[in-house]
Amino acid sequence: MFSYNQTIKPILNRLGSMPVAILLLVLLAVASVIGTVLQQNQDQTAYLQQFGPTWYWTFRALGLFDMYHTWWFMAILGLLMFSLGACLLRNIPRFLQEMKNRKGTLSDSARKHMAHKFDLTLDDQDKAVSTIKESLPGWDWQESKVGDVLWLRGDKGRFHKWGYISVHSALLIILIGGWMSVQFGFRGNMAVPEAGTESEISYLKGTSIEYLKMPFDVRCDDFSINFFSTGAPSEFRSTLTILEDGKEMMTSDIIVNEPLYYKGVRIYQASFGDGGSDVTLKLHRLNKAANIDKVHGQIYTKFEDPYSTVSLEFQDFRPYNIENMAEAGKPKDFKDMGPSVDFVIRGKGLKPVLIRSFQDPFIMNDQNQGSMIMVSKSGDARDFDTFLLGLDFSNPKEWELFQAFVRKVPNDPNATQKDNLNAFRAALSEVYPEGNPEDLQMLGMRVLQALKIIPQMPWPFVPVLSDYEQKYYTGLQLAKDPGMDVVWVGSAILVLGLCIMFYVAHRKVWIRVEEIDGAANLQVTGLSNRNPIAFEQEFEDLRKQIETVYGLEHGPGNEQETKESV
Amino acid sequence: MTALATTFSSSGPLFQGRLAHVRCWAYLGMIAGMAGMAMFAGGGYVEDEYIFQLFSMQGVMWMGAGAVAGMGYALTTSKDKFRAFRFSEILVPWIDGIILMVALMGIFTLFEPNEALITYDDQSNLFSGRVVMAMNVFLLFSAICYVAYLFAPESFVGKLGTMTAWAGVYAGGSALLLRWYESYLLMGGDIGHAPVSNLYEVFILLFCVICVIYLTLESRHQARGLGAFVMPIVAAGVFFSIWLASIGQGDIKPLVPALQSYWMKIHVPLNFVGYGAFAVACAAGMAWLLRNRIETSNPNAKILSVFPSLKQLDQLAYKSVAIGFPAFTLATILGAAWAAEAWGGYWSWDPKETWALIVWLVYGAYLHARFSHGLHGKTLAWWAVLGFLVTVFCFVGVNMYLSGLHSYGQLT
Repeated sequence: MFSYNQTIKPILNRLGSMPVAILLLVLLAVASVIGTVLQQNQDQTAYLQQFGPTWYWTFRALGLFDMYHTWWFMAILGLLMFSLGACLLRNIPRFLQEMKNRKGTLSDSARKHMAHKFDLTLDDQDKAVSTIKESLPGWDWQESKVGDVLWLRGDKGRFHKWGYISVHSALLIILIGGWMSVQFGFRGNMAVPEAGTESEISYLKGTSIEYLKMPFDVRCDDFSINFFSTGAPSEFRSTLTILEDGKEMMTSDIIVNEPLYYKGVRIYQASFGDGGSDVTLKLHRLNKAANIDKVHGQIYTKFEDPYSTVSLEFQDFRPYNIENMAEAGKPKDFKDMGPSVDFVIRGKGLKPVLIRSFQDPFIMNDQNQGSMIMVSKSGDARDFDTFLLGLDFSNPKEWELFQAFVRKVPNDPNATQKDNLNAFRAALSEVYPEGNPEDLQMLGMRVLQALKIIPQMPWPFVPVLSDYEQKYYTGLQLAKDPGMDVVWVGSAILVLGLCIMFYVAHRKVWIRVEEIDGAANLQVTGLSNRNPIAFEQEFEDLRKQIETVYGLEHGPGNEQETKESV
Repeated sequence: MTALATTFSSSGPLFQGRLAHVRCWAYLGMIAGMAGMAMFAGGGYVEDEYIFQLFSMQGVMWMGAGAVAGMGYALTTSKDKFRAFRFSEILVPWIDGIILMVALMGIFTLFEPNEALITYDDQSNLFSGRVVMAMNVFLLFSAICYVAYLFAPESFVGKLGTMTAWAGVYAGGSALLLRWYESYLLMGGDIGHAPVSNLYEVFILLFCVICVIYLTLESRHQARGLGAFVMPIVAAGVFFSIWLASIGQGDIKPLVPALQSYWMKIHVPLNFVGYGAFAVACAAGMAWLLRNRIETSNPNAKILSVFPSLKQLDQLAYKSVAIGFPAFTLATILGAAWAAEAWGGYWSWDPKETWALIVWLVYGAYLHARFSHGLHGKTLAWWAVLGFLVTVFCFVGVNMYLSGLHSYGQLT
């Protein structure tokens, strides 16, 4: 069999030795750097694109894309734990022994090397001893007699070695807590649409997505966003109800810094998105009839136009679009452009593009500039180009007016401005028989703008958002962390230990008292393991205090005494 | 001028003996009154509003009552015993400094532009900008003085350096407090928050922390020569922050929801105590290396008399690390506590967290090298210098080059 002393002890000693610990710490630091430089847990295809197949597969085999959870990273942390444990096991008995062991005497040769010392001769031995003890209150005294010589040893901050012990055991406790978190806890995300219920979280494990069923259901009663007047969001708030077997257990609001706690699971507000809003669009047909079709759809669904090959894929809905309207360099001017819907439009012979359609017309300087549409040819929201359609599509009359104008405007390249104007007047009296609208001049300009842009549209209709019923989903993060409290306990011990280590000095004083010819001969020596400047002061104070009491020096205390006696 | 010098060096009867003791207890009573108001006063404690409440009649009453009670306690209990006032003598100058800063801020609020002229979009007319400019001038001037002091130790430039550094600290601290106040003037008080929310603000905080740590060490250890190494680091930071302001990063902006927590007021400043202390350690390391080089090439150089000794520099570097390491540890732990409340876990291996761990390991190793292996001198001096480079990367580099959850400090 293996004996402890021959087999395990040397291994523990080696593992707990400083070079091994430093090697492990360096490995940990280097690995951590890799993990910060290489973005973790991204999309696998993005990695493949970034690194090419060779490096991608190498990195993937090493687990570098989810490095902090690989076996080898865990092994480093595990070995560090063992190393710490071995170090503690080896050193704690020694430290405890050193703390207990207080040598009462001090050899002359040792005293010679010490910086803080003085000699005194006083009349009364007992009074001298009590004076010293009084001037160093809270010190721990020990008396011993060697022959005729009385030795006093005083200690302050004797527990400072507990600093080392507690710091290192605290680290071990924190690592154990971390291990417990990983082993027995979970952390994953769920998306709950408003009025919907969800009970499963998803999380990344290596390169694949795993699912875990919660012992309860989460229902999102409401989700809302508040904004600062700059348009930046100020608060994301979800009202959640926890259900168990269909029974409502609790209802609570959560915001970003205030999670919900239920049966050991914390529920955090993490993200949000569209939870399948209902949208209504008006399709203004670009045919002879020029009729308007109302179509209903839902975000994440597809609408297929029965009259053409065109389809709309609804992707996102936004109730607000707060944009900076100021020109570059001018003071910012934030304005809400109103609700919008994003969809991809596809069809035979059409290039699929992403469109953002706004419900409200664009108002600038209190003047209606007509409806706005944004088109991204690449399908990326960053490449949107904005087009003003001229007409205000939220007002069906304007579409009528436009159609009337198109019918009446002479289809002749030689037509004069006057002809156009006449056509416009005729269209006006047809659509507005009861009288002209107010901003007539602007309306005329907008109809002309529409005449320029609308015929250029490749689609068989102009799609404009007309109504909506918004529905968010709230993105929640659910986490159970049974190791967390262990980590906090470890952290508290760590900070306490560091304070002891750095700020508590172990100060020692030896006093050799020898009675010679009725007088007490004192040799005082002091030593501190840190903060020599503060100790020097303290030691100096001790000397002054004794001298003051004995009237050896004309200190202020001495004068006072004289006054009193007079 | 002498009165000013006395104030800065915190000596004289106000700072000694019974008077210091009474003042200290008055301050402590005042702080107790503040805590009492937070706990028991009507309306209860509401984060930032509480600070305004302090300056109301109600706040003055609570603090005044506390101060009187504290003074009463001090007068009835103080014995003219040896070293009885040491605690007060240490504490009083610190609280004096804080009160002076708050008072300066109060004076500066009088110079704010008319309410109608304050807009979110153009914050250039806010007075804090000018105070920050004054701080920049003080700190740059101080850096020049300290460097000049190396070559003219007898002249007054050394003292001038110390004094302007203190002036910079007070300007910077009161400017930050003023920004806090100003954040409530913008947009109807909606976006009010502590001035530690972006890179520009924390830079000002960092200057103040570096200067305070250094100046404290300077006065305790008579190590004015070290200033020629500390203040240029601050000066470099000043140029960086001027650049930040020039690209519009100096504006007060609303807080993103993740930062709307009382943890921000604790976690961020404490972290900068760590960073600041490591900066001073780095300066001590540089001074050690330079002195060492001069000593080997020309042992009789006149400049050596201005430098602290190698042993002292070694000690100063260690002292700074001893201030920074526990503060940094606590800051990281409190950051983890915040993360547990906001991000769903106390540790997410976010780049900033990971780099904080690396910084912690670097200085932990420094301490081990010093105590377990008894290393001193050159190796440790280099260690302090390189450790600070790692710290700088953790502070600024991570925000600039790596993306992650700590994206608030990002340059946009």
